[in-house]
Amino acid sequence: MQTNRFVWLVLVAVCVAVCVPLVAQDREEPPGGLVIEVEPAELTLAVGGTRRLAATVRRADGTVVDDARVVFYSRARRSVSVTRRGDVEAHRPGEFTLVALVPASSGAAGRRPDSIARAEVAVTVPHPPVERVRFTAVPPKFYVGTHPRLAVEVVDASGALRHDVAVEYASADAAVASIDRHGFLSLSRPGRVELSVRAEDASDRLAVEVEASPVTSLVLQASADSARTGDVVVFSAVARDARGLAVRGVPVQYAVAGETSPSIIAAGAAALVTSEGRFVAERSGTYTVVATSGAHSARRTVEVRRRDVRREVEVVGRGRVLDRHTSDLWIWEAADGRDYAMTGTWGSDGSTYIWDVTDPSDIRKVREIQVDARTVNDVKVSEGGDIAVISREGASDRRNGIVILGVGNPREGVPVLAEYTDMLTGGVHNLFIAEDHVFALSAGRRYDVIDIEDPANPRRVGRFELDTPNHSVHDVWVSDGVAFSSNWTDGVVAVDVGGGGRGGTPARPVELGRYAYPSGWNHAAFPYRSASTGKLYVFAGDESFAPQGQLHSQQDAIPTQAAGWVHVIDWTDWERPREVARYQVPEAGSHNLWVEDDTLYVGYYNGGLRVVDVSGELLGDLYRQGREIARFLPFDPDGFIANAPFVWGPQPFKGHVFFSDWNTGLWALRLLPRTRPGPIVGEPQ
Amino acid sequence: MRALPSRPAVAASLALLLALPAASAAAAPDPPRRSYYVYACAESEDEVAVVRYGPGGLEVVKTVSVGSYPAETEGPHGIGIAPDGRHWYVSIAHGLPFGSVHKYETGTDRWLGDATVGMYPATLDVAASTRLLYVANFDLHGRLEPGSISVVETETMTEVARIPSGIRPHGGRLARDETRFYAVNVMGFELVEADALGFEVSRRLSLGAGVQPAWVTRPTRAGRVYVTGGNVARLFEVDLESWRVVRTFETGPGPYNAAVTPDESTLVVTYRQGGAVGFWDLETGRERARVATTRAIPHGVVTTPDGAYAFVTVEGVGGEPGTVEVYDIAAAERRGAVDIGKQASGIAFWKVEEQASAP
Repeated sequence: MQTNRFVWLVLVAVCVAVCVPLVAQDREEPPGGLVIEVEPAELTLAVGGTRRLAATVRRADGTVVDDARVVFYSRARRSVSVTRRGDVEAHRPGEFTLVALVPASSGAAGRRPDSIARAEVAVTVPHPPVERVRFTAVPPKFYVGTHPRLAVEVVDASGALRHDVAVEYASADAAVASIDRHGFLSLSRPGRVELSVRAEDASDRLAVEVEASPVTSLVLQASADSARTGDVVVFSAVARDARGLAVRGVPVQYAVAGETSPSIIAAGAAALVTSEGRFVAERSGTYTVVATSGAHSARRTVEVRRRDVRREVEVVGRGRVLDRHTSDLWIWEAADGRDYAMTGTWGSDGSTYIWDVTDPSDIRKVREIQVDARTVNDVKVSEGGDIAVISREGASDRRNGIVILGVGNPREGVPVLAEYTDMLTGGVHNLFIAEDHVFALSAGRRYDVIDIEDPANPRRVGRFELDTPNHSVHDVWVSDGVAFSSNWTDGVVAVDVGGGGRGGTPARPVELGRYAYPSGWNHAAFPYRSASTGKLYVFAGDESFAPQGQLHSQQDAIPTQAAGWVHVIDWTDWERPREVARYQVPEAGSHNLWVEDDTLYVGYYNGGLRVVDVSGELLGDLYRQGREIARFLPFDPDGFIANAPFVWGPQPFKGHVFFSDWNTGLWALRLLPRTRPGPIVGEPQ
Repeated sequence: MRALPSRPAVAASLALLLALPAASAAAAPDPPRRSYYVYACAESEDEVAVVRYGPGGLEVVKTVSVGSYPAETEGPHGIGIAPDGRHWYVSIAHGLPFGSVHKYETGTDRWLGDATVGMYPATLDVAASTRLLYVANFDLHGRLEPGSISVVETETMTEVARIPSGIRPHGGRLARDETRFYAVNVMGFELVEADALGFEVSRRLSLGAGVQPAWVTRPTRAGRVYVTGGNVARLFEVDLESWRVVRTFETGPGPYNAAVTPDESTLVVTYRQGGAVGFWDLETGRERARVATTRAIPHGVVTTPDGAYAFVTVEGVGGEPGTVEVYDIAAAERRGAVDIGKQASGIAFWKVEEQASAP
């Protein structure tokens, strides 16, 4: 015991000896021995509440400094503000910090020691109380033996919809119906029962009549008995009563179980079925979908085989650009009957290259056009193949804008028809040409619509800009009179510019709808009317890189890593865009894309070029479904960054797949005929 | 990066050499015994270069990639060193949509944090007395709408205030006592004085209709600042106490950035359109020398604490590299030029060492 006490005393002594100096060193040395005291030292305010802070500055001897200048500020001024006099006002719920400081003596210029007197005031702004909670989406019928889920909506006094408030459910008669903490009901016998929900002091009640289930049988139908991985099979459960009539409004739950093909070991999750009964498998095998409603269930088995769409690719030709970065590309047939490719350059001298690709195995550079810029990020050619528009960034006079070129006969010459910079000085990152109009981004804030019917005299006729706070636009693509812009956190926005049926024109764009997803990485969008289903799918690509401030660069000669994927949005109904599928290559990041003939081509940055079968209905994770037709990584030891694939954008053209790569330039590939089953990610051969 | 020898002038507009530096025809003087370090931005390279001028001449000792999107040009524009020399700060012009200020540790150049500020943040300055950073949100490419000056707490890299300033605020330097922050509104044609501790503009001084000021120097001990009138080829000397223009100097084309030597005898000015650097005797109010830069579009300028040298950035055009040049202020002669990344822009003095060594 004595020994233990001695050890304890030694530890305390060591701690005092070590810790006290550490604490002292951690404190800021006050200027002239000043300390600042703030009253109150912490405070709690309701949203909208106010309070004045009183700061007292003292010398080391405790006397008050009357004329000290105290600076107040908030580290979250949009949530809680403070004036120069110390008047505080709370605006949003949360935990925040205010700072009061006395500036250090500002004597001679140059390096001075830190000596600021500072006090921090913790401010707590509680959430407003819950004002109401109510049941929503109440099913029309409640049948014994079923397990419908009740949804609730919680709204606080500020009108905000709350998802962070605990709700408690209760049933007045558990013998009739019980309810779990997730809102799932268990309906046990017929009868009337009152259900209730409480959130803080708010509550709601719902009287439910539980009926005996009229269902005597459940039949499960399927749109197919066999399918390939990635194919959507639609299961429909039909409940019938004793007379054999269909019963509507009966809740049905779907589940899937199955066995993957014997050769696939430890496959992980291999299939899914949605709450609406849409089934898709990622692995070949035998799957059984079970529909349950009350005491009744039905099952149906579907055989799934490998999709087996894999094809090899062959490099047909190259337009090597090894001394600088390459940006966007466009391939077209010019008025002279020959095929050309245009590629931009990035972070260089404002050059744009035109290549003759009539024979993709013999790609020849025929023109170099140089403009006052460091980056030509985007290049586009008109539908008629006679006008090209390129974007400028890094102009020496900081007036960037666009340059309009005549490209009807590149071998004869590529005249500069016009430059247009008005209200586009901040840099045009991306643009599109549709029906004699250029849709050009302006400083990442909006896109302007410029009439180029007379290409030598362009004139702005319209513009479109979101009204959301902090909006930012990255790309725009026009198809059938609808402009699809990509807007980072605001997602994809569809705008009628002549073909949307809402009276929009290039001069008067009319928004049709928008769809945003949580990551805020929306970078590009390609609208596509599915040839096999008729659905309008918008393929929305992300762009994302490593955490900010810590990037890999050309200077470091390290290949860049990217992240993000392609979001598939079913936008058949302008009012109801739904994200239904994704194409996500692990450990790589998506960039520009193209869809044609039910085939998706993706420039997947460090993941290379990807060619994906997007035929049929799309659901789930396309990458894992064996839909990938081909991949190609453009390694080149002589690349601008050696052996660093970084595919910028693809374009299929006359049987070949062209793409630009940031470090190596222009490539032309050919998909080879299938001669044997190809590999599928996750499945053995 | 390789050091370039001093080369003949390239700026065709250079017509005036008010005073031939005495040493111009002599052999190149020896490089200094001390080593001077500056940080310089390369706006179209998303890069910051650490440049040393010492016994080994002028050389790039390190480059630091900045920004968050390798496939987007984000544009580092303004740069400043904390008064205690421990950190450097760089404004990144382009964001989604707002620009940002990033904090790095000097020497290691380790990234420590960032703060989102306004549109196209440009010039910045840091107060020792509060550790608050002030950056002018230039909003160069927006509509002509009122801009702002962001105030950032540098410990947490939190924007704590945004001071409504005027149309296209640029330049920007703290007063000697750091209670005031001076900036110019390029398209508001005025100099503004902000209460740096109360976060609001306190005074405005019109420089004349249509005069587009580009820069304001740090106030002198006598309470004077110098404002460059880029589009009118003039310098304005403003007395802060009386708050009026007391002298006006006719200059070469496009005076852009400017710096006063520590002894306040000389004002070094970059001429953006003129492709030259001017050396002004502030006592006589006369330009004693004007030297053509090695490339087009000189941009930033900073003087060393001992008043011996001025470092100047030169943007270049298109694919040309940017350049950092060093001038002997007394002789008004260029002592060296070294290429950095494209479009060299903001520049800040870091430190001087008695013996050359790696940072």
